[in-house]
Amino acid sequence: MGRVGRALVWHELLERTRDRWVLVISVLFALLASGVGLYGRSAEAEVAKLTGPSLVTLASLLVPLVALVLSHDAIVGERERNTLGLLLSLPVGRFEVVAAKLLGRSLALCAAVALGLGAAMLVSDPAGVRTLLALMGPTLLLGLAFLSIGLLISTVTRRQVSAASIVVVVWFSLVFFYDLGVLGLLVITDGGLSQSAVSALVVGNPAGLYRVQMMHTFAGPEVLKDLGLSTGLPGRATTWLLWGSWLLVPAVISGALLSRSKVA
Amino acid sequence: MRGLQARGVSVRFGRLQALDDVSLSVEEGRAVMLVGPNGAGKSTFIKVLLGLVRPDFAVFEVNGKRVAIDNDWKARIGYLPERVAFSENLTGQQLLRFFASARGVARSRVQAVLDRVGLIHAARRAIRGYSRGMRQRLGLGVAILSQPDLLVLDEPTSGLDQEGLSVLWSVITEWREAGRMVLASTHDLALMERRMDEICVLRDGRVIAHGTAEDLRRIASLPHRIWLEVGQATDAKVELLCQAMRTWGKGRIERVGDRILAEVASDETLELVEIQSGFPGVVRGIRVEEPTLDVVYDKLMGAA
Repeated sequence: MGRVGRALVWHELLERTRDRWVLVISVLFALLASGVGLYGRSAEAEVAKLTGPSLVTLASLLVPLVALVLSHDAIVGERERNTLGLLLSLPVGRFEVVAAKLLGRSLALCAAVALGLGAAMLVSDPAGVRTLLALMGPTLLLGLAFLSIGLLISTVTRRQVSAASIVVVVWFSLVFFYDLGVLGLLVITDGGLSQSAVSALVVGNPAGLYRVQMMHTFAGPEVLKDLGLSTGLPGRATTWLLWGSWLLVPAVISGALLSRSKVA
Repeated sequence: MRGLQARGVSVRFGRLQALDDVSLSVEEGRAVMLVGPNGAGKSTFIKVLLGLVRPDFAVFEVNGKRVAIDNDWKARIGYLPERVAFSENLTGQQLLRFFASARGVARSRVQAVLDRVGLIHAARRAIRGYSRGMRQRLGLGVAILSQPDLLVLDEPTSGLDQEGLSVLWSVITEWREAGRMVLASTHDLALMERRMDEICVLRDGRVIAHGTAEDLRRIASLPHRIWLEVGQATDAKVELLCQAMRTWGKGRIERVGDRILAEVASDETLELVEIQSGFPGVVRGIRVEEPTLDVVYDKLMGAA
């Protein structure tokens, strides 16, 4: 990455950490995660086991939201404020601008996740801290995948309000309704879908992949078996491939679209 | 020629020919103003120059050598976009520091530029607290930060108060005196006229006139308005003078109260002054009004 790209990474980080919406959702995540951590510490042993799954549910709701809020205006916001032209008039390639924006906002996301889980760690017992440490990596991957999706939405839309509307729809669709959709599909096909197809559909959604991965970590394969996902749980390589695809494909499409467009 | 020369710039968006074989030059030490109605192609030309729009055809030369619109070229340009709205979460100083890092400019220059555009007192204030004029001055600061060879200003007077205009004029003067180039697109002809050396008039993606303000007045061939103050002279003497001027047979002569209005071509002004000198004591004062650029512009637009 060249001089402009590096400067843009830090500029993006600085700017995003001053965004009040990002701050509000990050602080909310930190408060709720701390609450769960605190409850897990004070509760009976059996109840304390639920700390991990509770945090997974919390993170799977809020981290995608933070990521989408962070990224939805990356390109369209600059375009609407007439600063995209100014940015691209600097000695820098368009692809590098997209990469720098992704990287800068990824750092801001890392800070938000670290704030949330870090706050929970401060109030948790050693077992709780271990749970939270196990959550950290996949939670960041979940956030980065949604960050990349938000970046793509920001590139293809012409108005910031459209981008904001689309990310809300995407958030609801992937975080809330996707699993219901899969369930509906099973009902419609009268159970005609194979277990591997159901598993593929579930892990095809980054939020689903995150939940399955974390359930496997905290509750073991038995729980997944009960859910009928035992045969379709992806191996380590496939899991990395899926995360890599969610992270890179939308970002690469964004870069390609911006680079190929006749008008910036 | 030393400076920038653009030749044959053509851009098509679908069925729309946004720029059609536009050629334009900006000599070192000179400021060129791009004017034209909305959709004439001013912003498109600027965007081609900045690498923001890919032309279907264009040749750019600097000091006679062909250049590509690449990163080396972009490093030599400072740009003030139209109606720029910077991120409101940052301070003016933080924003300029980002552009200084991006352009490889020393941090000490940031303070100098903030001072230059009159924002040193608001350097640590969030941009959300800036007025429209202050934001425009900040944009000007971003444009001049790296002391570029070519300063490209898109509607630079927009939102500027008198203090902001003074800053803008001094920057343009500084750039011209340093032998650098300025290219500005504007709708504000009257305000910019005295600050710019040349005017390029665009319409429907084509250059319809290019030259100094005087060149354009000549091209438009609009009459000068000459006001003759008749003072204490009797009506009979004034009428005699009017008759003499009408007999001369050029332009339009009209009595307006205690003044005579003559509308004549610029090269006929001296002749008219000579005629009135044959009637001593009638005319107390003479005021010559050349056609304003707005009027010239309207004529060019109507004639194009």
